[in-house]
Amino acid sequence: MSGAPFVSVRELQKHFGGIQALKGVDLDILPGEVHGLVGANGAGKSTLIKVLAGVEKPDAGSLSIDGVEVQLSGSQQAADLGLSFIHQELNLVPCWNALENIMLGAPKRTRVGLIDWRAIRAQVQPVADKVGIQFPLNAPVAKLSPAEKWLISICRALVRKARLISMDEPTASLSIRESENLFRIVRALAVEGVAVLYVSHRLDEIMDLCHRVTAFRDGRSVMQSERKTLTRKQLLEAIVGGEAPVSEHHPIPYDSSRPPLLRVSELVSGHSVREVSFDLQKGEVLGLTGLVGSGRTELVRIIFGADQPDSGTMMLEDRAYSPRSPADAVNFGVGFVPEERRAEGLFAGKSVAFNLTIANLLDLRIQPWLPLLDGRRRAGMAKEIGSRLRVKASSIDTLVDHLSGGNQQKIVIGKWLVRNPKLLILDEPSRGVDVGARGEIHRIIRELAAQGMSVIVISSEAEELPELCDRVLVMAEGKIVQELRGNTITRDAIVHASYHRTASAV
Amino acid sequence: MPKPASQNRIALSLLAKYGTILGLFIMAGIFSVLAPNAFPTFGNFLNVLNQASLSMIIAGGLTVAVIVGELDLSVGYAASYAGVLVTGLIANQGLPVPLAIILVLGCGGLIGVVNGLIVTKARVNSVIATLGIGTVVVGLNFAYSTGAPIVAGVPDSFTQIALGRIWGVPNDVLIMALLVTVLWILVERTPIGQSIQAVGANPVAARLCGIRVDRIKILGFIIAGVCASLTGILLASSLGSGTTGAGDSYLLAAFAAVFLGSATLRDGEFHILGTCIGVLIIAVGFNGLAIFGAATFYQYLFQGVILILAVGLSSLSRYFAEK
Repeated sequence: MSGAPFVSVRELQKHFGGIQALKGVDLDILPGEVHGLVGANGAGKSTLIKVLAGVEKPDAGSLSIDGVEVQLSGSQQAADLGLSFIHQELNLVPCWNALENIMLGAPKRTRVGLIDWRAIRAQVQPVADKVGIQFPLNAPVAKLSPAEKWLISICRALVRKARLISMDEPTASLSIRESENLFRIVRALAVEGVAVLYVSHRLDEIMDLCHRVTAFRDGRSVMQSERKTLTRKQLLEAIVGGEAPVSEHHPIPYDSSRPPLLRVSELVSGHSVREVSFDLQKGEVLGLTGLVGSGRTELVRIIFGADQPDSGTMMLEDRAYSPRSPADAVNFGVGFVPEERRAEGLFAGKSVAFNLTIANLLDLRIQPWLPLLDGRRRAGMAKEIGSRLRVKASSIDTLVDHLSGGNQQKIVIGKWLVRNPKLLILDEPSRGVDVGARGEIHRIIRELAAQGMSVIVISSEAEELPELCDRVLVMAEGKIVQELRGNTITRDAIVHASYHRTASAV
Repeated sequence: MPKPASQNRIALSLLAKYGTILGLFIMAGIFSVLAPNAFPTFGNFLNVLNQASLSMIIAGGLTVAVIVGELDLSVGYAASYAGVLVTGLIANQGLPVPLAIILVLGCGGLIGVVNGLIVTKARVNSVIATLGIGTVVVGLNFAYSTGAPIVAGVPDSFTQIALGRIWGVPNDVLIMALLVTVLWILVERTPIGQSIQAVGANPVAARLCGIRVDRIKILGFIIAGVCASLTGILLASSLGSGTTGAGDSYLLAAFAAVFLGSATLRDGEFHILGTCIGVLIIAVGFNGLAIFGAATFYQYLFQGVILILAVGLSSLSRYFAEK
């Protein structure tokens, strides 16, 4: 576990459109080490992995394998060099069996060109035994547990003679016992000289398992350290960065005597939402955060009627509120701005006016009994929202496809404004928009709240919520683990609470 | 040489957008030169419109289904069934003509409801669902008619619907014009129409806006079914009989017209006006083939090639729109 690095990355840069995903990344991975990679969402971890996998080409910088500089031209070349990647969603073919998945893309053939299953089985079985696969290799993958799928993925990497296996959030869907089994396998791989790049939000695991750790922040590698000389606090600081910038936003003090707009009591949905209760006041901006998989998205999907809870109740303005569909929720006065702007929010190929008025068509009838659109009123409505949100478009007839991400996001938010909903839920409102648009979106949200609208903002960025919210709820493993109010809403407090693991999970 | 390349691209995207209209005029021009006495006359113009009206009605309904993002392959069979059923109800069951027509239109709507429920609730792909239901409709058709054409006992009051004229304009053309206007207003100028377009453009976003996506899709199928029935009724009226397979061939013509239409004026987007142009192209083509006395197999060649061309043009104009 010493000497020359197997993989060496220097000054790597990569941009997507206007976004600089990697601004200069250095990374050395030694043979036979478990190397932890940490950083907030969007810090550049997944972009680096895509570059290593040969999926994305870097703009600048170098990548060396065994001291030889290489330029990867595709994922096959990366695999040939011994780099193997296990993604969080495990790219397995569900209807195939374990053996077929392990050999996918690299089959052995008999003399007449048919797949030689006997030879394959003979080759795979010893590897399968080594990683502790106890189920039969002809079991269909769809019937296996997440832990068993991880074993198959590791087995697949080993059969291909991988010298580096990258694992992305391997324990996200594993139980404690399954996680421990995985750690055992990871350590055994390291002893045999296979390097493991271990990407995780769970700092306990990083501290426990890794030999060395690299932290990413904002597209740069800000720290590379031996784990022995590293404290948990140092690691957190590296992820979060220095002091939070001074925010102009002054949270409105929470006053429990005010009547709530929304009251959520003991909501349960499978394992993702577990007995969640909270109140939301009128005119309040409530932040909701937590790591991916903490249950925050599932929670708001229930509030918006997109999913039904297993149990629990909700009250909206002292009336029972149990929306059976998003249309129900809209009729109750709830609006939702989804996380995936292009896939779930925007009508591509349609005009700005179409997108701004689509949630409000009934108001645009010439007369309630004459269901024809009043074109002039429609144009007026679109122009009014457009100028209120300062949407930059050449006209309201421009197709939304031609606008920037920030302007598209303003339009997705804007369609709710005329309805004047009582509650507006925004999921990652500033993802993928530039700094200027982000500030404007924050301003819009504050203005809406000042006019009496209640707002729930979901964000993965710990920096965003202190700039925006009066109160923040932090979720972990389906529960609210921390409530932050007023001046206690800081980036550090949010990160600390997010990495907190509830007692029931240990 | 980036400049000529981008000029080429602009030229290609213009061709994709206006090529169909240009093609219609070129075709009409060629026919006018080659057959100056037969093609460019007022009588033949009305004749083309008359031939186009039934296609237009069925294609107009199909356009709405396609705008909501689904395909309806049952429309041809639904038209055949409507023709048999309406003549049968009048001639065999002795129902008054208006009542029979209303019942049969309702029947077309019902086929649409079934299609829509299967697609939205059972989540069957619309190609398979409507192919299956279309085949069931063929079965119902044979069960009702036992396969024999219904000729005897069809009154003049029924045949006059299609054969009659007002101020020299065939009733079919007037009905078509009325229906196209209604459909155009529905799709382009009403809240429901905006919802229909929204569901087709992005069903997930539409649902999250509070649009009831399933209902809108079912509505699309209902409109397609009712229009198919209307085509079948008018066809039976002009033939004076109900024949089991009379409307089947309208399916391909309608699809060709709808896809040609999506490549017209807008970038690969389906719309009623475009469908009108598409129907006219096919009608003019058929008319020309008939004037020159081309053998029947040319009609099939023409229609097959047009269908492929239409879908190709439609994808091309979408491709250039994204560039």
